[in-house]
Amino acid sequence: MSRKTRDVLSVEWVKLELIRTAYATRGGLFAKMDARMVIGWYLMLAVAPWLTHSFATIIALFVITAVSAALARVGPLVLGLFLVGFVTDFLYAFLAAWMFGGDANTALALVEINLKLATVSLASIAAFVSLDPEKLSTGLLALGAPELLAFGVSYGYRMMPILFEEFGVVFTGLRLRSAPGARGFLGLRALWRWGTYAVQAFYPIFLNTAKSVRTTVESLETRGFTARQGRELRIARLSIGALDVTVVAVTLAAVIAAFAIGPWVMTG
Amino acid sequence: MSQTTATDERAGRIRGTVAGLPRDLSASQKLMVFVLSMALSGVANLVLEIIPDVTIGPVDVSVSYFVFVPLALVALLNPFWAALGAPIGEVIFVDLLMGDFSGLAEVEGIIQMFLALYIAGSLVRNPRNRLQIAIAAVTVVVIDKALSALVDLSKVWIGVEDAEFVEGLPESIILLEGIGYAVDILMSGILFGVIPAIWLIPALHGRIEPLLGMRPRVPGEPIQGSAPRNALFVAVALALSIASFLFAFLEAWDIELGVFEPEWLDTYGPGFIWVGIGAAAIAFLVGIALARAARGKSDAEN
Repeated sequence: MSRKTRDVLSVEWVKLELIRTAYATRGGLFAKMDARMVIGWYLMLAVAPWLTHSFATIIALFVITAVSAALARVGPLVLGLFLVGFVTDFLYAFLAAWMFGGDANTALALVEINLKLATVSLASIAAFVSLDPEKLSTGLLALGAPELLAFGVSYGYRMMPILFEEFGVVFTGLRLRSAPGARGFLGLRALWRWGTYAVQAFYPIFLNTAKSVRTTVESLETRGFTARQGRELRIARLSIGALDVTVVAVTLAAVIAAFAIGPWVMTG
Repeated sequence: MSQTTATDERAGRIRGTVAGLPRDLSASQKLMVFVLSMALSGVANLVLEIIPDVTIGPVDVSVSYFVFVPLALVALLNPFWAALGAPIGEVIFVDLLMGDFSGLAEVEGIIQMFLALYIAGSLVRNPRNRLQIAIAAVTVVVIDKALSALVDLSKVWIGVEDAEFVEGLPESIILLEGIGYAVDILMSGILFGVIPAIWLIPALHGRIEPLLGMRPRVPGEPIQGSAPRNALFVAVALALSIASFLFAFLEAWDIELGVFEPEWLDTYGPGFIWVGIGAAAIAFLVGIALARAARGKSDAEN
């Protein structure tokens, strides 16, 4: 590891980066929509690619999700990582297939499966990146998900920075109290030391978190936390507007058109 | 880490209440176990986000999860609620908050990880026995990754028209999955599973439970929801998965023989795609049934 990586790898920097990702306001089309409709929209596009083997249809479905991702204002970093992963996955699979005597047909089949997987994951990126986690959990609650999930999201949303900060403190403490050692071949010994600290830091974290969780649950109890009441209160916030209906209707029409294109390209 | 040494004694089955504490967990204690497991697994996965992924060629040699964190909880506390909390914590802390939520794929991940952790937690009868802990740590990765490989393979089977016909496709997918499987068992199962767990679990035993207002597990005492019937469930599930697998492969092999008869192929060609779907459906239903059975049993006992 060079000096630059070490600077980037400071726990403090990562913590700030994580908090920025989790709490920064996200704009885009789906952020304004009702969470239930976004889930419905996603399910439509997640299932559709598996129902066809027509190349034209698959490409059309991919275009639909790509346009949606653009409308959802997905960041270039997320999209770039997604594209690189998509292309390298295909290349490695083709390389392995070629070793077993694959040909152009194999490549075509691999493009088909990878394009399907890409369509599904692009749909999930478009739908869920811009949606606020608490809004998403409310939507899932309205669709009959257990209350524990919604409680978990709210809890995680509030506790994540605190827990991570605590881990950082324990980790830094361990490093400060330990003697510096040799870097070893390729920095392997330093890496091993880092791994050991990361594992050892969990011992106090386990005990501290157990205490704080007990406090949380007991205070919920004294305040009369009843899950059912929470469900109704949260669902009451949801409402389906004109925008939701329009987006879902337009997508549905586009998906039907994509399926219509398939046979038309084959014959024409 | 300072550790006092405690003698490891097998006290056998405990009946009734010990030290005035009831044996069954109260509702709020279940919630505590669930939330604790969720929070700790979430933090563990966040820590993993810091470590950059290393890929050598097509193989991902990075650690996929810190197995020792949820394993410590399923071994020491109620395995059902701890196993349920861990994958949900990962989804909430890492995927939802980081904007990396992948919809339906998360559901299959939760089912896989829950099953793997629940079975592993039930395997540990004595939290101070290092051999049992080591076996449980490897079991988590073996079950979780086997199920996810199954899902991956069935995706290819369903996603590609007549996948069996395509030259080199089945072999290459199986090769890539196999290499990934071996690397995961080595990195996640042993390096960040067995080695930390055999230190952490005995160290935490008897220390973390009083903080949650629970009596520490006595070695040899069965915990709720980890009866021998689980072994039967696992055996049935494995047998069915293997059966569905073999079924799919046999069909693939048969079709390759059938390539010489185009008419035969025309008649049966599209039908064979349903074999793949059937195999996937069987695997999925077995997973659901197992989860439901485990849940019903736990509810009945608690």
